[in-house]
Amino acid sequence: MSYIDTIADNKDLVTPGMSACHGCGGELILRRLLKVAGPNTVICIPPGCMAGAGVVGWSFDNGLKVPVHITLLDNTAAFLSGVTNIYQRQGRTDVNMVAMAGDGATADCGFQSLSGAAERGEKMLYVCYDNEGYMNTGFQRSSTTNRGSRTSTTPVGSVIPGKPQHSKNLPYIMAMHNAEYVATASPAYMKDMIEKIEKGLAASKNGFAYLHIFSPCPTGWLHGPEVSIDVSRKAVQSDYFQLFEVDKGVWRQTVANKKPITLKEFVGPLKKYGHCSDADIAALQENIDARKSFLQKMIG
Amino acid sequence: MSKREFITPIGEEGIYILDTASWRAARPVMNKDKCIECGICLTMCPVNAILREGPKKYFISYDYCKGCGICAYECPKKAIDMVKEGGE
Amino acid sequence: MAKSTVKAVSGNTAAALGTALCSPDLIAAYPITPQSSVVEYLAQLVADGDISATMIQVESEHSAMSVVQGAAATGARVFTATSAQGLALMYEPYFRMSTLRFPMVMAVATREMTSPETVWSGQQDTMSVRDAGWIQVYCENNQEILDMVIQGYRLSEDKDVLLPVNVCYDGFFLSHLTERVEVPAQEDVNKFLPAYKPDHVAFDPKRPMAIDPLTPGNILIQYRAGHLAAMQRALTKLEKVDEEFASVFGRKWGGAIEEYRCEDADMVILTIGSMTGTARVAVDIAREKGLKLGLIKVRYMRPFPVEKIAKALEGKKAWAAVDRSVCFGWDTGPMYMEALAAATGNASSFSVIGGLGGADIALQDFAKVIETLVANKDKPGRHKTLWLEKPF
Repeated sequence: MSYIDTIADNKDLVTPGMSACHGCGGELILRRLLKVAGPNTVICIPPGCMAGAGVVGWSFDNGLKVPVHITLLDNTAAFLSGVTNIYQRQGRTDVNMVAMAGDGATADCGFQSLSGAAERGEKMLYVCYDNEGYMNTGFQRSSTTNRGSRTSTTPVGSVIPGKPQHSKNLPYIMAMHNAEYVATASPAYMKDMIEKIEKGLAASKNGFAYLHIFSPCPTGWLHGPEVSIDVSRKAVQSDYFQLFEVDKGVWRQTVANKKPITLKEFVGPLKKYGHCSDADIAALQENIDARKSFLQKMIG
Repeated sequence: MSKREFITPIGEEGIYILDTASWRAARPVMNKDKCIECGICLTMCPVNAILREGPKKYFISYDYCKGCGICAYECPKKAIDMVKEGGE
Repeated sequence: MAKSTVKAVSGNTAAALGTALCSPDLIAAYPITPQSSVVEYLAQLVADGDISATMIQVESEHSAMSVVQGAAATGARVFTATSAQGLALMYEPYFRMSTLRFPMVMAVATREMTSPETVWSGQQDTMSVRDAGWIQVYCENNQEILDMVIQGYRLSEDKDVLLPVNVCYDGFFLSHLTERVEVPAQEDVNKFLPAYKPDHVAFDPKRPMAIDPLTPGNILIQYRAGHLAAMQRALTKLEKVDEEFASVFGRKWGGAIEEYRCEDADMVILTIGSMTGTARVAVDIAREKGLKLGLIKVRYMRPFPVEKIAKALEGKKAWAAVDRSVCFGWDTGPMYMEALAAATGNASSFSVIGGLGGADIALQDFAKVIETLVANKDKPGRHKTLWLEKPF
């Protein structure tokens, strides 16, 4: 079964009409995730774009065709720990235990419970869709917002030009938790992403699996919805977002980037970086280079 | 009005669905003369509005398509055009 | 009744023994003084294979409540324990546990809230969260702790109730005090407490529902009304549960309040928690001196036994309520404030605040309370708060 068959043939378990914006990366990732996971799944989705878009249900209706619970912004991995432990007790290990959370619920206030669950090796697949900010509440900065980015809480002023700090590199941090499987993915590399969801689900039967997925946000990043995938592709091509996996501690780059494009080609269409000077881009580049060399060292 | 008891708030009476087709300013239209039935559009559609019939025939369902234009932009053969809704 | 075992144990061990007898599926906990030994004891029982519960040692109280919430959503019987700062940290999932209508029992070795920095006894922690939708029962001694854990699960899981229960007991004064406790036989507990099988919620692909969908106000108000109605039903249920408990185990705790020497009393002291033991002696001494003094032990703060308290105070000339915590906005203790709201008529009354941050409430303190009661007896209405201050 090719990845296209998986997407074409498997049942869509998400409401056909949800209020995610045009060209939303989160909606695409959620629909692909559940195409792979299938109906024998429970999913936790904390507040964020996906929950706000209605997939956690409304009034007396569900927004998905699988059981879903809107966890607290900061307890997704802990809540799912309780669920998965009861399923393990009952011997129902066939049921997929899945969480899908934004970067705020993952890297910021949800990080403690995430780290705890990963350290305990709880059997689940935790997926972070990283749109680099609190997009559901109007694009405030998060710890995965990158340096220079304009957000509504790091506005561009005459004194401070956007976010002064580099982003937190969450996939690396998660890889240091002795997790069963950690990987990054981009919707522009759909085959790679589908394979990683499959691997993550398989790994979740033995322990903690974590996927960090680049999630373009036309509304917050200020680019046309039609270029969402192109932006996701250029993020990889410029090494801004590297595709790798850590399978039982073994690091591997899954998509090699032999002829990288310049960082300017990636940030160019994104108006959130529109005010950045060459020096700002150079500072961002420096951090990207450091991440690249870290990954190379880990791959060995 | 629901006859349910108000204990734990749960949603299991149906599926919550929004009419997202009404958002559409432009609709994607496939040009089957150019289409090579590769399926890239299907894999990239955030709404799952592109479907497959049989082993290799792709088509667009307009029931929930928001008209984001990703399919047209990503099509390797430029076989999808975005056509303004309501006509010129 | 099968034979019970007599043990000399601390309040924390009593809570753990009671929990073990209720055969929880999952326990999640995080250490905090003075609660820690509850979950240490349970962890040992799990490690030795004496109970089959899954034990999850989490990284915070916030996660402890979240883990048990997930397990409860999946239909499990769960337990955790905490104190003070831990309870404050878990407030977010704590409020949600009750509003999701998930039954459970949580032991709280009550402790003063920081600041000033303290780890010692006080009821400010649980009193501060008394409007988070949980049932709250306060214990006088270690036997009551063990019994109320067992009664707690029964009440909590009752289909007419479905609310989580806090079994509160004074940190150190009970948590670390060793007393004689009768540990019931497992077969009796099994008889009293049937297996828990929820049908109002499921987190299962066999019944794919959304738990807690986004809910507009016109529907949310129905859930709140249902929650409050369940709380009122609990007021009746807890009396029945106590009676049934007595029929199986031979011990009865009196339901929402216990009255002691109140029938002919014209003055009454209201107490809550472990101070009650001392108050009983104070009442006996006063009686020997010819004072017509009685005692009301308030056992449940939630649901608050409004009618029972009103009835118990009816016709009394003067009463005082002793709190181990404060109500910041009223210049009183919280239990006094609520009893005052419940009382009919215009009897002489005043609030007493003492025992904060681990300070003792001794016989001489009750002597002061009684002295003030006598002085105020013929002056109806509310009098100023009496602080049981200690020399330093």
